Amino acid sequence: MTAAMSETAPATAGTRPAGIHLDRVSVAYGKHTVLDGLDLTVAPGELMALLGPSGSGKTTALRAVAGFVRPVSGRVYLGGRDVTALPPHRRGIGMVVQSYALFPHMRVAENVAFGLRARKTPRRDIAERVAEALEMTGMAAYARRYPRELSGGQQQRVAIARALAIRPSVLLLDEPLSALDARLRSGMLAELARLHRELADVSILYVTHDQIEALTLADRIAVMDNARLQDCGTPQELYRRPRTEFTASFVGNANLLPVTLAETGPDGTVGADLGGTRLRAHGAGAPAARGAAATLCVRPHLVGLGPGPNALRGTVAEVQWRGATHRLLVDVAGTRLTADVRELRTPPALGAQVELHFAAEDAVLLPVTSAPEAVPGGGGRG
Amino acid sequence: MAEVLKSPAPARSAGGRSLPSRLWVLPPVVALGVFFLHPLALVVQQSFTPDEGGTSVEPYTELFASEVFHEALTTTVWIALAATAGCLLLGFLLALVIAFVPLPGGKAVSTFIDVFLSFPSFLITLALLFLYGNTGVANGLWTSATGAATGPFDFLTTPWGVVLAEITYFTPFVMRPLLAAFSQLDTAQLDVASSLGAGPLRIVRRIILPEALPALAAGGSLVLVMCLNEFGIVLFTGAKGVTTLPMLVYSKAILESDYPSACAVAVVNICLSVGLYGLYRVVSRRAGA
Amino acid sequence: MLVHSRAARWAVRILFLLLFLPLFVLPLLVIVAASLSSSWSGVLPSGPTGAHYTAAVRGDALTALTTSLITAVTASLLALAAGTWAALAASGAGRRTRRLLDALFMLPVAVPSVVVGLAVLVAFSKPPLLLNGTPSIVIVAHTVLVTAFAYQSVAAALARLDPAYEQAAAGLGARPAYVLWRVRLPLLLPSLTAAAGLCFALSMGELSATMMLYPPDWLPLPVRIFSATDRGSLFTGSAVAVVLMGTTLLVLLAVSRLRTRATFR
Repeated sequence: MTAAMSETAPATAGTRPAGIHLDRVSVAYGKHTVLDGLDLTVAPGELMALLGPSGSGKTTALRAVAGFVRPVSGRVYLGGRDVTALPPHRRGIGMVVQSYALFPHMRVAENVAFGLRARKTPRRDIAERVAEALEMTGMAAYARRYPRELSGGQQQRVAIARALAIRPSVLLLDEPLSALDARLRSGMLAELARLHRELADVSILYVTHDQIEALTLADRIAVMDNARLQDCGTPQELYRRPRTEFTASFVGNANLLPVTLAETGPDGTVGADLGGTRLRAHGAGAPAARGAAATLCVRPHLVGLGPGPNALRGTVAEVQWRGATHRLLVDVAGTRLTADVRELRTPPALGAQVELHFAAEDAVLLPVTSAPEAVPGGGGRG
Repeated sequence: MAEVLKSPAPARSAGGRSLPSRLWVLPPVVALGVFFLHPLALVVQQSFTPDEGGTSVEPYTELFASEVFHEALTTTVWIALAATAGCLLLGFLLALVIAFVPLPGGKAVSTFIDVFLSFPSFLITLALLFLYGNTGVANGLWTSATGAATGPFDFLTTPWGVVLAEITYFTPFVMRPLLAAFSQLDTAQLDVASSLGAGPLRIVRRIILPEALPALAAGGSLVLVMCLNEFGIVLFTGAKGVTTLPMLVYSKAILESDYPSACAVAVVNICLSVGLYGLYRVVSRRAGA
Repeated sequence: MLVHSRAARWAVRILFLLLFLPLFVLPLLVIVAASLSSSWSGVLPSGPTGAHYTAAVRGDALTALTTSLITAVTASLLALAAGTWAALAASGAGRRTRRLLDALFMLPVAVPSVVVGLAVLVAFSKPPLLLNGTPSIVIVAHTVLVTAFAYQSVAAALARLDPAYEQAAAGLGARPAYVLWRVRLPLLLPSLTAAAGLCFALSMGELSATMMLYPPDWLPLPVRIFSATDRGSLFTGSAVAVVLMGTTLLVLLAVSRLRTRATFR
């Protein structure tokens, strides 16, 4: 390994395998850049979710790790080894794709044994490890079946067992739950969480467009949009303290209010003017300049009805009953605010004047992006 | 994202195209060269080599001057055009019924078409001999009905007999791409159109026909090429009056042993068919067939 | 649905059958009927006889059947091997190479069969490969003609094959050769058998190129049918034609049985 390489490889390369490391990886189809300088490190035992809308480059990133697309620039490291030039079959990764791609002409056991046979594992070990992988995914009873004789959820388990049988140090999951219906999905989600706990040394890269999956499973989430990494952090960080408007609206729902920055208070909160109203928000990471435009982000369920700190008066534009909660859309100073409050005995009438409030602690100030996400409730998710 | 990955210009798969994998292309290409391309080149070469030796365009000048060739060329082309037109019309009608008017045993019909296509073309001419020959069924019906000595059907040894046989044999080739195109058509469109008050003819003209045009063009040009190249049907009619280009190649080479002329006719025929076939490939790629 | 009233629907159906039956079904029935008759001068054939068949499965005609079978089986296997190889190589090659291979291997479809026959005759009537007068020259011509169809079917099947399978296999550590042998070829098996059936049927019925180059001791069924009808023995010709159709159908049936088993697995 050259000096230059060991510099770019992650520091843990000494004793433990270093998981996945992408160093400024770019991928282009012709003139169209689909992945733009991605830097990403997944530690051993860590589950990193690549979260983003379709076309954001997340699947391309996964395929670059697997070796199915070759980056136009940048390097890919697996376990501290530069694998950029290696074909997929020499990278030793386990991979589960959206369609599962179970070989239809092989029984479940043969599917699971495939990777082991391909690398000429001794016969006795194959049987043992196939049994182990099927046991782990709860599919031991189905070893003699053909894929078409299994339900979607069962096929999913076999696909995971097939990837685990080769005991990879890197596991790539490409939208593994998107082909399942909602009920099966939540079951599989718990199952994946258990597998992740059991596979203490395996680096998992999990591509999804579903924020719930990412929030539930991931140790860290990398948010992608427009071929670029937008934000990266633990689910709590991204949810409580998003750094961009995109993250705020893509991970959970968000009210994004256009404000003008004012002075920093003695308690560390930052003043922000919405129309004529002075609001106070959490100071960390706020754009510095006073008088500059910024976006104030507050989650709908943290907005309360009635008087309180950061009080705002507005007109009720819409009331939606959602069972346990009421969603109120309230026009405040030219913007529409969403508030999810506990179910109300007597919801306000349309056109009524109401007062809303939220704690300064729950509000985050973000830099303004050129095209603000004006979608109330973050694109209807949740 | 999936759309991006399936775009026609995918990024190169890593390690997928090393030098040895390129060498894999060679054996089949070499085989094709030895058994097809080189022989074809020899035909072209021979067409410029008259029996007296040397290289000259004499076989061509002789050929273009000959009455037989001119007649064969025009006969070939007009038979092919007439048969193609017939195939398109008939194929469109039949495919329309199969696709849009529920038919008991519709599956049997398409199985039959597949079976039909696996038989050689000359069987049709053989059958037509029994049906429309001098002592065939049709004339038999006529003579027993009118008491006349001979029947009126005497077209089998004329180009029309060839046209009838070719329409019969090649119509399924038009129907198959059409049926494929029709199966892609959203039938809800037809329901909506008729709920808006469009009659069947209007629906056919305004909705189905535009949808079917690419398939018609592709099927039509394929059939045109096959008609230009058809030999079995013409041979079996046994008519001296019907000489097409392939027939001329056969008679020059086998019956007259005049290879340079045969090769010259062959070259003309190749140019005609391959040119049209190129057109077909372009059209069918546009049609996505 | 295009026609809504019951009466109109029946009218269309009857019209369809009036076109379809005489054009496509009647010719085949006529041949079968003729093969069982001794004369046909009127509306219906007369003099039912099995004599044509006893002739058709004996002596020369039987030789023609085995000749055709040997030619068709050899040619379709060779064509299948060459076509599959070429299609696989093309699918792994770049876009421009693939289009070139497509054009090259589809060329025999465009060139008239008679001309293919002539070309093969011209090329192999002189050293170094002197095949004229041997059965091999017929097999060579048939192989050239049907390879295009084998290539086309396999290439189409390859294009339809979900790349996720081979990628999953490669991801699991399988070398390209292993992926080919254990994943791609098994998944292609249904298409391969279909292509084999198509090639067989085409070769069984091939007349144009064969007429140009068949040696006197290697007369396939179509040539035999032609020489019979040319002599005026239409009924014997019909019987041989029925043998040809029957054999083709039987083999196609067997192939499709094989295919359903391959897809079921």
